[in-house]
Formats: sequence, structure tokens, C-alpha cells
Amino acid sequence: MIKIKDLEKIYRTEEVETVALNKLSLEVKEGEFVAVMGPSGCGKSTLLNILGLLDDPDGGSFMFNNIEVAHFNERKRADLRKHNIGFVFQSFNLIDELTVFENVELPLIYTGVKSAERKKRVEEVLDKMQIMHRRNHYPQQLSGGQQQRVAVARAVVNRPKLILADEPTGNLDSSNGNEVMQLLTDLNEQGTTIVMVTHSEHDARYSHRIIRMLDGQTVLENIMV
Amino acid sequence: MFRNYLKTAIRNLWRNKTATGINLLGLTTGLTCCLLIGLYMQHELSYDDFQSKGKRIARVIMEYTFGADVTRGNFTSTKVAPTFSRTFSEVESAIRMTQTTKVVQYGDKSFVEKKFMYADSTFFDIFSFKLLEGDPRQALMYPKNVVLTKSVAKKYFNNQSPVGKTLKVGTDGVDYLVTGVMEDCPSNSQMRFDMLASFSTLGVNQEVTYTNANYTTYLLLKDKNSFDGLQTKIDNYFKEENAKSNDPFKVTFILERFDKIHLHSPYEGFEPNNSITYIYIIAAVALLIMAIACFTYINLSTARSVERAKEVGIRKVIGAMKGQIFGQFVGESILLTLTSLVLSIGFVMLLLPWFNDLTNKQLSIASLATPFVIAFTLIIVVCIGLLAGSYPALVLSAFQPIRVLKGSFKNTGTGLLLRKSLIVFQFVISVFLIVGTFIIQSQLHYIQSKKLGYDREHVVVMPLDMKIMKVLPVLKSEFTAGSDVLSVARATNLPTHIYGGYSMNRPGLPEGTEIMVTANPVDEEFVKTVGLEIIAGSDFTRQDMEDVMHEEQEKKIYHYILNESAAKEMGWTPEEAIGKKMFLGDMRPGYVRAVVRDFHFTSLHNPIKPLVLFTEDWGRYILAKISGKDIPGTLARMESAWKKLVPHRPFEFSFLDEEYNNMYSAELRIGKVLNIFAAIAILLACLGLFGLSSYSAQQRMKEIGIRKVLGASVAHIITILSKDFIKLALIATLIAFPFAWWMGNKWLQDFTYRVNVSWWIFLVAGSLAVIIALVTVSIQAVKAALANPVKSLRSE
Repeated sequence: MIKIKDLEKIYRTEEVETVALNKLSLEVKEGEFVAVMGPSGCGKSTLLNILGLLDDPDGGSFMFNNIEVAHFNERKRADLRKHNIGFVFQSFNLIDELTVFENVELPLIYTGVKSAERKKRVEEVLDKMQIMHRRNHYPQQLSGGQQQRVAVARAVVNRPKLILADEPTGNLDSSNGNEVMQLLTDLNEQGTTIVMVTHSEHDARYSHRIIRMLDGQTVLENIMV
Repeated sequence: MFRNYLKTAIRNLWRNKTATGINLLGLTTGLTCCLLIGLYMQHELSYDDFQSKGKRIARVIMEYTFGADVTRGNFTSTKVAPTFSRTFSEVESAIRMTQTTKVVQYGDKSFVEKKFMYADSTFFDIFSFKLLEGDPRQALMYPKNVVLTKSVAKKYFNNQSPVGKTLKVGTDGVDYLVTGVMEDCPSNSQMRFDMLASFSTLGVNQEVTYTNANYTTYLLLKDKNSFDGLQTKIDNYFKEENAKSNDPFKVTFILERFDKIHLHSPYEGFEPNNSITYIYIIAAVALLIMAIACFTYINLSTARSVERAKEVGIRKVIGAMKGQIFGQFVGESILLTLTSLVLSIGFVMLLLPWFNDLTNKQLSIASLATPFVIAFTLIIVVCIGLLAGSYPALVLSAFQPIRVLKGSFKNTGTGLLLRKSLIVFQFVISVFLIVGTFIIQSQLHYIQSKKLGYDREHVVVMPLDMKIMKVLPVLKSEFTAGSDVLSVARATNLPTHIYGGYSMNRPGLPEGTEIMVTANPVDEEFVKTVGLEIIAGSDFTRQDMEDVMHEEQEKKIYHYILNESAAKEMGWTPEEAIGKKMFLGDMRPGYVRAVVRDFHFTSLHNPIKPLVLFTEDWGRYILAKISGKDIPGTLARMESAWKKLVPHRPFEFSFLDEEYNNMYSAELRIGKVLNIFAAIAILLACLGLFGLSSYSAQQRMKEIGIRKVLGASVAHIITILSKDFIKLALIATLIAFPFAWWMGNKWLQDFTYRVNVSWWIFLVAGSLAVIIALVTVSIQAVKAALANPVKSLRSE
């Protein structure tokens, strides 16, 4: 599903040049659950942004479903992203002005799904995340765990092939964190590919494979059994 | 998608109540001003539109040349209309008109009709006034016919038809036959009479001379394009006529387009004119106010964009295109503008009575309810929404989602320069308006407080007619019986506006010399009553009056009081002039009694010219100087004397200072309007500044906290927060000054007597702008400086 070769990303300011990704190569197969680990500043977030088509690389190749996307313009990237990729963030990133239902509905609106169909799918996914009773509440009225479940619901409502999770349990206590990890595992078992950045060895154990990064390169791969 | 935007927009507006409030207030105020000014402009620009033949009608202006002196005016003699109809093939029809005041009586009802018009029988052919009853061709055919407007008909006859009935008109109660009823004159008509009588009634319908010019003449041309051709013909015709005549003066006539009179003519018509300059000024003010409101919106939205950044980031990650985000934010600003529109329509309805009072109009919001205006307003509103919303939308839609969502996003320099420029621009407008207002106000103050050379305080003005003239001596003694009426005089023109044109000469000047002079027939109490200062000689006496009361013209001896300019024109010093023989016109031989100090007997737009006051047994006004101690009591006493002696006319009066102010009604009005709108502009600019400074203080909360922990004083923090804004206000002041100086001087050029645009106006205006900015900003700065630093640091 994802094939990366010699990927480079360099951040430049007037005085300093920071190499975030240094000729990184990586492959993720369809249906895999991969955890990316490493110290702060090792480039794992940059990698996730590029995988999520939020940022473009400065060099190298990025094949997504056998299409070269490294030099797609913003429009094309947005189009590919909204149909194929779901995001889960550490800080949930729900829109405060929208209710739970409306937050989850948003990706469907941008992909042009009809209103009746939207309602059905949002309810389905809210049900699955056991958050249906909170559908008319605003994010501030929910606990952290509930907010993250809404965020996961939003990430999967469009039935993406790939979910990118950026420290999904970072802001949660351990029981809520485990719940979210279980959700991701369930999704993966139903066929969704997941790439997750995490600091937590505990969370990483839910994955099939751990990629350890340092200074913009992969240094080690652990296959989980 | 749209519903989702609408929802987010409404919730967002609701959540940020301060910003929304400021923007709503700004936009609503701006739109309210625009709507009110729009109503006013629509009314002014629509003047005489209802005249279907308006483009073919010309008003005839007379040009009267006497030596080097050229006078132009909208008065013509009765000879012009018939001569022009006969001589020039371009003229289809012509009409003579004059408006006067008449006492009208029906049964026991009696009113003073101030708008009593006389017009030729061609009236309904030339003008598109609608006759409801009667025959338009016959209605003004015969002497003593009169057509009433609907509301006047109701006043005298209630709901009965007045046609065929007779009214008693004038002091001697002449019977006029009512021959028709017409629709009231529209409020946007340059003639708005209440009664219309046949011109033939006046008995002046002879074609004797061009110089007995007391009437207004209009021509209806066959072709609307023949103005220029006809003008050339008129010029040539009168060149020949003048060459043939032996008169020392020359006349010619100038055509004026009827539809241009209200806004473009320097010559008054039956109703006060307006000036297109003032229309432009007021339109510009409306636009400036709207601009300020838009800028406030742009400023606040871009400044607040950080708060919206997260939302934008999420939407983009989820799949929103740049265009969709742009549309969302523009939509939000259009929504806000539309809400403001609804609010401002409400405000306009509330404010309209007051605004009508201010502008002396009868505007109604109904005149805006045409499909064209509604469509136009909506388009404008959407444009404002676009204008105000597109920049913030552009900034927001360009946010990089990853930076925003990683929290590394800070409000960097994005749009900082633009925001600063907009603030500067807002303050330029405000300072410009402040200076403009100051200049206008100081000229108006100058007009009001100027020593005119006479005393216009506590002088009661009453009308005088033939019947009153007979009882005047008794009336005078009744008035002066109390100690509160100091003196009573009679005059043909009021001292505020003397316009009678005469010529004068004296023995010893070459044969045929005529000196143009303005003159006013008065009595022996005039100088005393209006407080003129005699600098040589002595006032008129009772005997002087007796000298002009002979039945035979040859035996009359006149007496004159000259102003300094007139004495100088005759070649005399004030002292030399006394007792000298002189003539006024061909007829009046007489002697100079006195010379008075020059005084302003016309508007301050004009320089003081030579003036002669002379004894004559006639006048149009009674002037009474009162003590002013108990004005209502004095007036009541005068009224009871009036009712006893002048039963045919209600007691009507005005004060001389009112008459004086009436001459500057256009200036006074524009002054008032500008005052109000300048205040609004400044308020709006402050509102924007307030919003922005509160935002900036909020943004710098952490910085302030750290500074305080490190030992910064409150004063120091206020300085830090205010410094930038004050700098901007100062820059704006400097930019505004040259524009304001230039515009102010241009406006003042219309006045011969005017104030100088002095440096203190700029000093005060500049300081005012800076102080206002300082106060506005400090409110926020003080709040921020006093806040507990622990709070702001912990929240990070």
C-alpha cells in the first residue's frame, strides 16, 4: 500500500538547515498495523505528515497504492486524502463549534455524500464507538476518552484504507488509552491499515511491527509475534 | 455543506460575542448611515424627475449690464415670454410665474397662504402636475381663476368639491373662482405651491420693458437638443436690440436647463436649491464611514484568525479544499453583513423622523422599497461582505494544516502590515473629518458671531401690506406704549438681505454717469431699530419723511443715508458727503443726511458694496426692537395690538437673527450633518481600535505575565501595549493634515468673509485623535497590566 524510497525532507530557516528525513525507505502492506517510535525530533511526525499527504517531500519517491504521489499538488493531495486516509491526533482536534454528530459528519460532507446516507453512516459508526448517546453534545462536554472515540469515529466514517494515528493515547489515562487501542486493533482486524506514531512501548505492542527511528532514518524494525 | 457552514458561522459568531458585537455594531452603523444618506441622495437626485417634459424646459436668466457691472438673476419681465414665443421658432410654449403670500378667506376660515402662485394658462401643458378636477386648458384661462392643491382644498372645503366656489383673496378680499383641484406638488419638485391662480389676474400683462423684472419665465422647447442653437439666436437678437437702444444698460438672457436647477443653479427658484457639491461631500462621508466599518471587520477577523486556525486545519485534514474554506469565511462575513442590514433597516425606521428634521425633508423608507433599490442594496451588501470577508478568508484558507494542528502555529507577521495600514487609514479618515468639521464649525461660528455692523438680536419682523400701512402710526404707538418695545421701523428689505438695484449720481459728474448701487426704502426709525452706526451727519427726522409724502412727484424731496462704500464711490469722505445733493435713479432728487459704517447687508459669500438708505412712504416689513427681558410677554402684548388693528391678517412674526441664519441654511445643515457623521466615523474607528487592542493584549498575556514576574511596573506595561497604536494614530494625523487643509480652503473660498484655517485646528484635531486612540487602547492595556501574572502563565 505504501512504498517509500530515499525520502528526504529538509526544513530551512534563514540560518539553520534541519534534516528531518534522511533518505528514508519504508514499506507498509495493506492490512498491516505499524507503530513508529523514536525520541523527539527524530522525524516521525514529519514522516506521518508526508504519509498523510499533508506535506510534500523534498526528494525521493512515495508510492501510494502504486501511484507516485510525491509531487502531487495540493488539490490532488487533498482529493486523494479525503477518500483514502483518516487521522487520529493526540489532542483530538475536534471542532468546538460542532456537535459530536456534526464533527463525525464533516468528512462525508467534503466527499459529497448525500444527507440521508450521511445520517445512516454517522449513526452506524457512533454506535460502533458506543458514543451514540452523546451525539448532540459539544466536544467540551465530553471526557478525553469520549473525545478520542469521537475522533476515531470521524477518522473511520469515510471508510478509509489507511488510518494515521499520532500518539492517540498521549492525552488519555491508561484505561481510556487501552479502550482506544482496542478500537484501533478492531479496525485493523476488519482490514484497515494503520500507521501509529507513539512514545508508549505498551501501545506499540498492539501493532504487528515497530519501526524505530533516529535522526531521520529507520534504525531498527521489530516484528511482533 | 451550506448548512454546516451556516451552523459553524452562527455558533462561532455567538461564541465570540465581543468581536461579533463590535463587527455588528460597526457594520450596522455604517449601513444605517449609508441607507439614510442613500435615501437623502435618492430624493435630491430625483428632483423634478416626474416632469415628463423636463428635458425640454428652460428657465430664463436675465443678464443686466450696467457699465462694468454685470448682474444675473432668475427674474424676468412679462415681456420675455410673449417675445420669445413669437421670435424664436424653437420655442413651443412659454410661461410666466410668480409666488407670493396672500391672505385667503372662505366663510369664517382664514389662512395666510405663503405659497400662492400665479402662472400663465400654459401651466398644465408645460408641467406634469396632475389636475384631479377641472379642465387643464381652461383652468387658468381667465383672471381671478384659482386651482387648489388637494390638501389645501380639504383645509377650506373639507370633503366638498371646491370647483365653482369663490375664495376671498388678499387684504381687499377679491373674489377668485376655484376652477380646479390638483394633486399636491411632489416633495421633489422645485415648485411646491398650495394655490395656483391665473397670471392674467395680476394685470401686469403688458409687453412694455425688459427691466421691470419681477417674474420667473420658463420656455418649453420643441426639441430637447435645441438649447445651444436657441442660446446663440438669443445672443444675436439681443446684440442687435441693445445696439438699437439708447439706454445706458444692456440686457440679454441665458437659458438654464430646468432639470439642472435644483442641484446646479446658483440662482434660487421657488424652493431652496441644493448644491451638487454637498451631495458629493455627503456621499463621500457615507463611503468613508462604510470603509471604516469594513476595515474594522477585516482587522478583527485577521487578528482573530489564530483562533480559527485550528478549525481550518481540521477541515483541511479531513478534506476541505482551499476554495471551500474561502467560501465558508466569505459566507460568514456576508451573513454578518446581512444581519447588519436587517438591523440597520430597523434603525433607519427609528431614526428617520429625526433625520428628516435634520435635513428638512420628508423622506420615507417606502421609497427604498422598489425592486431596483432592493436588488441594488443586496448586491452592495454582498459586495461589502465580500470586501470585508475576502482578505481574512484568504489568510485563513492559506493556513498549513500541519503547522496549525501541531500547535506550533503562532500569529506571526501574517497581515500585520495590512492591519497597521488599515488602522492608519481609519484614523486618516477620522482626522480628516475632525479637521473638516472644525473648519466648517469655525466658519459657521464666525458667521454667527461676526459683527455685521448692525444688531440682529431681539428684532421682531412682521409683514406689512397696504391695509396695515394705513394703521401703522397707531400700531407703532400701541407697540411702543410699553417700555419693552424700544422702537418700531419700516423697511422694504430686511437689513440681512438688501437687494434693490438702483443707480445714483450727483451734480458735477459727467453727463450720463450712473453708479450702480443697492438701495432700501426705509423710515426715520430704521437706523435706530437695527442699530447702524452713524459716522458722520445725523439720522433721518420726522420732517424728512414728510418731505416725501407729497402727492405730486415734483415736490418730493428725498433724504439719503449712504454707507462708507457708497460715499467713497461718489468721491466723498464721510464728512464731505453730509448735505450734498444727489439723485437716486432719474427721479429722486435729495440730500445726504448721514454716512453709516459699512455693514453686511447680504450673505458673507459676497463683499460689501455701495448702499443707500432712503426715505420713502412704503415698505414690506415692520421691524420692532424689543428689550428681550420678557419675550413671550412682549410678543403677547404685540399680538393683542395687532389683532385689534389688523383683523384681516393673523399675527405672524419672525426674528431678525432667524432671517439671518436662513441665509446660511445650507451651510448650517451640512455643518450639523458633518458633525454627526464625523462623530460616528471616530466612534467606529475607536471601536475597531478597541477590538484590536483587546485582542493584542490577550495575545501578549504570557509576555505580560513574564514581564511582571521579572519586575515590570504597570505603567511600563501600559506603555508597551499602547506605544504601537499611538504611533499609528500619529502617522495617520500627519497624512490627513494636507488633505484636510486643501479641502477646507476650497470650501472656504466660497465666502468673501471667512476664517483662516489656523494651525490650532490641526493641533486640536491631531491631539484629539491621539488622545481618543490612547484612551481606547489604555482601557485594554490597564486591564492586561493589572491582571495576575500567575493566571496567564499557568494557563499555558
